[in-house]
Amino acid sequence: MRRTDLFGLGFMAPALILTIMFFLAPVVMTGVYSFTNMSTATGISGGAYLISPATIRSLTEQGFQGDAIERLSSESYVVDEAGLEAAEAAGYTPRFIAEIRSTLLGDTFTGRRDFERALKDLSHRPRSIRDLKKATELFQKSVLNVRFETEADFQSALSSLNLNLSPAEAVFLTETAYTGWIWTSANYDRAVNLPSTYRATANSAIYVTFTLAFNVGFGLFLAITTFYLPSGQAAFFRTIWFLPRILPPVLYVLMWKWLTWDTGFLSTLLSHFGVPPHNLMKHTATHAWVVVVLINGFVGASMGMILFSSAIRSIPQSMLHASEVDGANRWQQVRYIILPQLRWPILFTTAYQTLSLLTSFEYILLSTNGGPGSATNVWALYAFKIALNNYGGNLEYGYGAALAMVLVIIGIIASLFYLRLFNFKSMITSPRIEQ
Amino acid sequence: MNTNFKSWPILLALGLTSVPLVTMYAYMIIDTVTVSPPGSFIPNGISFGSWSFLWEAPAPGRPSIWSVTLNTFIFACVSTLMALSVSLTGGYALSRLHLPFRGFFLGGLIVLHAFPTITLIIAIFLILQMVGLYDTLAGVILVKAALEIPFGVWIMKGFYDTVPWEIEMAGLTDGATRFTVWRKLVLPQVQPGITALGIFAFLSGWSEFILPQVLAPGADAQVLGVYLQSLISDDTSMDFAKFKSVGVFYAIPVILIYILFNKHLMNIYGGGTKG
Repeated sequence: MRRTDLFGLGFMAPALILTIMFFLAPVVMTGVYSFTNMSTATGISGGAYLISPATIRSLTEQGFQGDAIERLSSESYVVDEAGLEAAEAAGYTPRFIAEIRSTLLGDTFTGRRDFERALKDLSHRPRSIRDLKKATELFQKSVLNVRFETEADFQSALSSLNLNLSPAEAVFLTETAYTGWIWTSANYDRAVNLPSTYRATANSAIYVTFTLAFNVGFGLFLAITTFYLPSGQAAFFRTIWFLPRILPPVLYVLMWKWLTWDTGFLSTLLSHFGVPPHNLMKHTATHAWVVVVLINGFVGASMGMILFSSAIRSIPQSMLHASEVDGANRWQQVRYIILPQLRWPILFTTAYQTLSLLTSFEYILLSTNGGPGSATNVWALYAFKIALNNYGGNLEYGYGAALAMVLVIIGIIASLFYLRLFNFKSMITSPRIEQ
Repeated sequence: MNTNFKSWPILLALGLTSVPLVTMYAYMIIDTVTVSPPGSFIPNGISFGSWSFLWEAPAPGRPSIWSVTLNTFIFACVSTLMALSVSLTGGYALSRLHLPFRGFFLGGLIVLHAFPTITLIIAIFLILQMVGLYDTLAGVILVKAALEIPFGVWIMKGFYDTVPWEIEMAGLTDGATRFTVWRKLVLPQVQPGITALGIFAFLSGWSEFILPQVLAPGADAQVLGVYLQSLISDDTSMDFAKFKSVGVFYAIPVILIYILFNKHLMNIYGGGTKG
C-alpha cells in the first residue's frame, strides 16, 4: 500500500468507523436479533436454568407423568452420604451424624416438616431448633425456584432427583427451564400468521399513498403559486410553509393537538354551532387518518415546494414571456411550460418520499400513537411499539427486529435503486494529484 | 413577476390554505401571555403565569428545565461538532484523495444517504445496552452524530468538488504538505458548506425526539423534546398554555437560526433529506 493510500484512508477512517458501528453493525444485528426470541423476559445476555411454577405448568401441558412432576415441584429431602459429609463440614456432632446414618440413610422425605419431625425424634439432635432447621437444608434436593448458572449444574441437580425421563423429555425439560434467549425462526412464522401484520401493511399503504399524493400535489401548488407572486409575498408564504419542517416535531404536533383535541380550538369553535366536542385526532379512523395525513403532509409539502421552486426558477424567462405574447393564459402556461420542466424533480421527490414515509413513524407516534385502536398503526410504528414502546411491559426485541428487518431490506433495495437513478459513473472522477 | 396576470386569486388561494397554520402559530404565542375565558379564544387579560416553569422548582420526579436545556444544548452542539469534523475529513477523502476501493465507498455513501436510519433503532438500542452506553448522553450523542454522517459527507463532498484543483496544486508547488493544503487552503474555500451543515446538524440535534426517548430515557440525560412530550402525556388537566410556553421556550433557538440563516436553510433542505 502506498503512502498516499494511507493518507486517504486516514482521512476516511473516522467516517468509516462510525459508519461500521452504527450502520453496518445494526443492519447485520437486526438480522441476527430477528432470529432470536429476545425480550424483556429473556434478557439480552445469556440466561440461567430455573424451574418455576410456570415451567411446571407447561411441563404438565406437555404430558409429563405425575411422578416426575411431583419430584420437580415438591421440596424433597434425601438422606445420602453427600448430605452427611456436608453436615460433618458444617460442624454437627459426630454422634448426631452417626445416628442419622444408622436410622435414616437412604430415606426420602417430601416436605420439610416430615424431615424435621424425623430429625427431632433422634436422641442426639442439636439443642437449638434453629440448628436443626439448618441441618435439614443440607439434605434438600429440590430444584424448584433454584437458579442454576450452567447447564452442567442443572443436569447434576436433576440426576439426583431420579426422574427417569426419556431422552426427548429430558431435552424438553432443559429447554423449558432455560430463561435466556434462544435461536428461532418463529418470529417470521408469527409475522406471516398474525392478522395484525396485514392490518399494519394495509395501514402503511394508506399512509404512504395519501401522504405522498398530498405532499407532491400541495408542494406543486405552493411552488407554482408563490412563483407568480411578488418576491416579498412569496417569501412570506414560503416561511409559513417551511417552518413546520424546522420546528421540533414534539412542538409541531403540540400545535395540532391544540387544534384538534376536544378542549382545543376546532371543538370550541364548532361548539358554538351546536356540534359536541370530540377529540378529532382519535374520534374515528377517518378523522385520525385525515389528521395524520395533514400533519405529515404540511411538513412534507415544503420539500416539494423548495425543490420545485428552484426548478421553476431555472426555466428561461424568455419562454414564459414568449408564451404570454402568444396569448397563453396562466393555466396554459403552467400546463405546457412549467409542468413538463418539473418531471424530474417530481420523480425524485416521489421516489425519495415513498421510502422515507414507509419507514417514518415519529409524527404518528406523537399524534395518534397508532389509534384509535390500531387504525393508524403503520408497519414501522408497529415494529417500534412491539420492540421498544409497549405498555404491556414485555418488549419483544426479537419479533420487533424481524418486523424491522422487512423495512431494512426494502430500504436497501430502494437505496440501490437510487444508486442507478443518480448517474453514479459521473461522480467517480479520479483525483488529479497523485495518479 | 408577470404583470399580465392578476395576482389576487393566487393570494386568496394561498391565504385560505395557510389559515390553519397561521392560526396555530398565532395562538402558539398568544396563549402563552394571555388568559381567555373558557369556551372562547378572545383573550381578556395578560398573564405570564404559564411561564412559571422557568423560575419555580420542578415538580417531584421531574428534572429542572435548566438542566434539561443544558442537556439539549450539549447534545446538539457535541453531535454537530462530531458530525461536522468527521464529514469534513471524510468528504475531502472521497472528493480529492487517493483511496483504495474509492468507487465502493462512494456507492456505499449514496446507498446510506438514502437509507432510512430509523429502521435500525431496535438494533442500536440493543447494541448500546450491550456496550453499556444505554441511558447516557454520550451514547445518544454518538448515535446521533453517526446517523448524520452519510448526509454530511455527501454535502461536504459536493462542496469540495467545486474547489478548483489549481489552488491545491499551487500549495503543493510551494512545498506545503497535503494536510497543510487541506487545512490552510481548502477549508476556507468550503466555508459555506461548513456553515450550512453546521446549522442543519444543530437544528436536527436540537429537535431530536425519538433517539433520546428510546436510548436515554432517564431523568439525568433528558432533553427538551422528551421533557415537553412527557409533560403533555402525563398531564391530566390539558394545560395548553403551559405546554405552549415550554414549546415557545424550546423553539427560540430554532426561530433565531431561521431568521439569521434562512437562505442557507432553504438550500440544504432542498438537498433532500427527511420526509
